Amino acid sequence: MNPIRKQRIYALTAIVVGSILAVYLVVSALSKNLNLFYSPTDLLNNDLSPETLIRAGGMVREGSIKRSDTSLSIEFIVTDFKNDLKIQYSGILPDLFSEKAGVVVQGYLEKEGTFRAIEVLAKHDENYMPPEVAKLMEQTE
Amino acid sequence: MIPEIGHIFLISSLVLSLVGGLGPFIFNKELPIRKMALLMFLLVFGSFITLIYSFVVDDFSVAYVAQNSNINLPIYYKFAATWGAHEGSLILWILSMNIWLLAFISFDKNRNTNFSNIVFGVCSLVIFSFLLFTIFTSNPFERILPIPPLNGADLNPSLQDFAFTVHPPLLYFGYSGLLLPFAISISAMLSGQSNKDWASSSRPWTLLACSFLTVGIGLGSWWAYYELGWGGWWFWDPVENAAFVPWLLTVALVHSLIVTENRNLFVSWSLLLSIFAFAASLLGTFLVRSGILTSVHAFALDPERGLFMLGIFSFFVLGGLAIFAFKNSTENKTSFYSLNSKEFGLLLNNVLLVVLAVSILFGTLYPLIYEAYTGGKQISVGAPYFEFIIFPFSILLGLLQGIALYLSWGSTKSFNFLTKLILESLSIFLLTLVLLFVLFDELIPASFFTIFIFSWLIVGSLLINFSFKSFNKYLDFLNRRIGVLLSHTGMALLVLGVGVVSSYSNDIELILDTGEKIEFLNKDVELLDIKDINGPNFISKTANIKVLDSGRTFNLQTEKRTYFPSGQVTTEAAIDTGIFRDFYISMGDNFKGDSWSFKLQSKPFIRWIWLGALLITLGTFISSINILRRKS
Repeated sequence: MNPIRKQRIYALTAIVVGSILAVYLVVSALSKNLNLFYSPTDLLNNDLSPETLIRAGGMVREGSIKRSDTSLSIEFIVTDFKNDLKIQYSGILPDLFSEKAGVVVQGYLEKEGTFRAIEVLAKHDENYMPPEVAKLMEQTE
Repeated sequence: MIPEIGHIFLISSLVLSLVGGLGPFIFNKELPIRKMALLMFLLVFGSFITLIYSFVVDDFSVAYVAQNSNINLPIYYKFAATWGAHEGSLILWILSMNIWLLAFISFDKNRNTNFSNIVFGVCSLVIFSFLLFTIFTSNPFERILPIPPLNGADLNPSLQDFAFTVHPPLLYFGYSGLLLPFAISISAMLSGQSNKDWASSSRPWTLLACSFLTVGIGLGSWWAYYELGWGGWWFWDPVENAAFVPWLLTVALVHSLIVTENRNLFVSWSLLLSIFAFAASLLGTFLVRSGILTSVHAFALDPERGLFMLGIFSFFVLGGLAIFAFKNSTENKTSFYSLNSKEFGLLLNNVLLVVLAVSILFGTLYPLIYEAYTGGKQISVGAPYFEFIIFPFSILLGLLQGIALYLSWGSTKSFNFLTKLILESLSIFLLTLVLLFVLFDELIPASFFTIFIFSWLIVGSLLINFSFKSFNKYLDFLNRRIGVLLSHTGMALLVLGVGVVSSYSNDIELILDTGEKIEFLNKDVELLDIKDINGPNFISKTANIKVLDSGRTFNLQTEKRTYFPSGQVTTEAAIDTGIFRDFYISMGDNFKGDSWSFKLQSKPFIRWIWLGALLITLGTFISSINILRRKS
């Protein structure tokens, strides 16, 4: 075989193998790591398993934040102005978490309809609204 | 008056850049490109200075100043607030592009050849489009008239910090540096410059852009680590990916240009990669500033801006690709290489880096694709995706990097170095395990892979030529290859840092009352008191914490600050830094009385990540300067 053709074959093989590896990795990583976003209304009627990691969000309802005095557990209600979702979380909240502010939580929907958050997402800027929540607000208005 | 002068400067540079951009293509005439580049730089610099001036003298009639500064802001931050948001950072970006262009022209020996003229023309066109974008959609000199506010809103408190003042300029400088490889590649295709010449004129600039990108990203990571109060150093946020993808492509380009310059191979590939690296930097800008992706970096969002950016992106990228398709007149001589050659090693390096970059870009864009495809369903692609993807690629790239410096052009005669490499890296591997066991009393198998790659890289970059008998020869070897050795060693340290910090970290969240003492990882931690402290533009609750760590006592102060006038709350973490571990405390919420929640974290080897990034920065910088010096 002439050397130029040989080199082309080397290069092509490397590219093809690299791409196959990438496609395999991307597909298997995506199938495991996609978290769908749900509004409280979306979560009202659904058949999600309590083992599925999902994201939910909306506005933190005024006066709904209940803290414990002795532990880090906290409860609050997130609303999309049509329906509410009760969130339970244990841990330190981000600085920008407050009443009447948009919030996105990541976690699991329990059987009885409360949401067990493992992460409350923080943003740099207080004027910033997570796009998911902003869209939700737009739809409601 | 002053802001209007700045505005006029901007408009003049717009006109000048249009002339400079069209000149080489229309009149085929010799333009005074040196003078033009200098004038363009001075105009943009002047406009940048007037903007800084408006910030420093609190001219709140300028809308951009009113939105991003405040009368009580310390003077240093007023200065830095100039690039604290979209409009001002664009000016900084344009200024950086002008500096690159000026630098290229000053170092260019074959002045006023067709090649240099086209490089100048392409750069001017890009600068023109950015100026157009700024003046029409994001004018920082817009006034609030007739009644200006008495006081400004504020600079986002998380940005009132030293690292913030240097992270954006350095990062923008790196981003905008990708303009030169792009312009050089376009010019090479249009002017038919020989491969050796254009590749060797592109290489120092690509290395320099890589250096600034690395330090910019590194600083961003360091800033996020101590300022956001979470102790994380990388979040796979879209904005981080928007910088990481161009970085990967730039690193690939740095390597492929070596082959093009020395062996006349991968010519089309290097040309194409130069276009893609620049495209990735534009795409990053577009993603960040159009607000179409959920990100922690909030810029003022405006669909009109997004559309404009998309226009700029399409024009240059499609234009570049069209030139590549129809005008690629570069000579394609071929030298031969076999599977065990340096050429093939660098080919693999490029395939891996580019495929990794594409996979990360895909994950970053997937939420958009998914939303469009499913009609509005929203998803997020989180850190697990990216970690899953990057791990195998890092292992392969690491294995390759360890042997890369010992491969020869054409074909490698002897693989004798392998025995030495394997034996020495196994010893380093075991030594590192012993060190980790001594430090942390446990061995975590999950970290073994990265620790082995670290050992492999250290031996491959530094130790393999080491011998006591000819120590002077060894020093000579270090000296000759200082740039590449530094950056490759930097990669090794970075890998070790990432591996150890992700498996050996520990954290705990708890509530402490004043006077209360707890134990965390053999440290006695005691909350002494909580004080009220007043800063220049904030009030703070400061927790004074005493730590007793294996005989050493030290105090740490973590704060909860409330900034006025915005009322925004930020956490200032307290960090006891160390080469082997950081001890990190951040303050949470107030409970009854003076009891507060705290998060305590141990972050072993985290410094090595930034140390590694710093070495890569230095290494690429030195290589670039050496090439430029040799040429002039």
